[in-house]
Amino acid sequence: MKNFFLSLKTTVWTLFGLICIFFLGSYLMPAHRDVHGSMNDQLLFQWVSETAVLHPWAASWFFLSLAGLALLTVNTVVCSVQAIRGKWSRADFLLRMAPQIVHIGFLCILLAHFLGAGWGYRLAGSLPVEMSARLPDDRVLFLNDLRPQIDSRGSLTGWAAEVVIFENGQRVAEGVLGPNEPLFYKGMGVYLKSFDLQDRPIAHLMVNRDPGAFWALFGSALFIVGATMILLLKWNRA
Amino acid sequence: MPFSFTLMETLLFILYPAALLRVRLIIPALLLHGWLVLDSAFRYGRVPLIGTRDTLGFLALALGAAFLAFRWNRKRDVAGPLVIALILAILAGSWVSPVMRGPLPPVLRTIWFELHVILSFVSYALFGLAAVFGILFLRGNAVQDEQDQYRCALLGYALFSLAMIFGGIWAHLAWGTYWLWTPKELWTTIVWFFYSLYLHARLVRGWTGRPVAAMGIVGFLIVMFTYVGVGLLMKSSHEF
Repeated sequence: MKNFFLSLKTTVWTLFGLICIFFLGSYLMPAHRDVHGSMNDQLLFQWVSETAVLHPWAASWFFLSLAGLALLTVNTVVCSVQAIRGKWSRADFLLRMAPQIVHIGFLCILLAHFLGAGWGYRLAGSLPVEMSARLPDDRVLFLNDLRPQIDSRGSLTGWAAEVVIFENGQRVAEGVLGPNEPLFYKGMGVYLKSFDLQDRPIAHLMVNRDPGAFWALFGSALFIVGATMILLLKWNRA
Repeated sequence: MPFSFTLMETLLFILYPAALLRVRLIIPALLLHGWLVLDSAFRYGRVPLIGTRDTLGFLALALGAAFLAFRWNRKRDVAGPLVIALILAILAGSWVSPVMRGPLPPVLRTIWFELHVILSFVSYALFGLAAVFGILFLRGNAVQDEQDQYRCALLGYALFSLAMIFGGIWAHLAWGTYWLWTPKELWTTIVWFFYSLYLHARLVRGWTGRPVAAMGIVGFLIVMFTYVGVGLLMKSSHEF
């Protein structure tokens, strides 16, 4: 059994299986919009328990991909542990470490997805100007002002929404939301998705907390460091 | 689109084939092409990588530059006809695509988007060149072609991974998540899985050589479907 998890052929065939599963997913997602439509609007585990389990055929690709990723994770861990436990020589130290750094980065990114799928929160709602909304952790979000930025041709070039966050009645953070400019406070992000200016300006906001975000960034950095090392070390050896 | 600009685009169809005579003769075509890309950037005040016309044009430029870098020391190269044919086909695709004028949508005005898209297309070009080297290896069994395919795929994989990371950072800032479940993201992951498979398969005894070279060709077909096919057939977060 250990040989199975240690085998490079397991890696190759698992990756091939995942490619086939994702291919199936790319077909089933648009074919079953009613099932997959809410996949990005709520935490993934919530989507699984409320929607996916009720539609096992439409979501089959997702469950299969979880199984494939679990197998790939075990395969990656076993291979890396074996590589690190093997005999070391000074000459090939970097060449043996570099793939393991890539593997650790990959595992951190998977951990990030796991944490983001089950914990944290993802809230969406509309808030008129000079109104407030309750948030988790005894926080309150207040929308102070909302201004669209329109150029001389009438094209929308940006937007600015002034918001304030209160925690336990204290003003703890304030900022201006814009395109690609959310407001972060203790791991929570406030985003302006769109707005409505008809009678009274209303901001359509999203408030997220993703405990996996840090691990995704950390894993990505490790992945790139490892990949760059492999590139530099193997370029001339190829 | 000004007449002079169109004329110079047409000139590329004459300049690129000069590389068939000598690899370094691709330089005038690359200089003109690079200047057209920069001119477009300054004219519209944005990175000229929006829409099929811009991106295909940039892909052709990146492919030409990668070819020059990999075969700089060759006088005349057997890869030349295949690479030039691919560049001309991509340029023709760019030419018949509609022009996207005007400013960027606000959500695209960020360095993360620019890095994401530039690195994506540079990696696509490297995957394309890897496919060309794969075809040459299958025909002639020259070790140099197999090694060059590996180098192209490895560099392309590293840049593609970086492009995905920058895309994730941008998505986190724009939409509050570094990952969205859409067919485009699934196909992007398929590309990433496929080249991970390629790099691992090369280490499996008995798979090196022709099977892996063939994989490098299949990989580019998947890349092109991810770029063109998914955009045409499936709805995704990559529509603005």
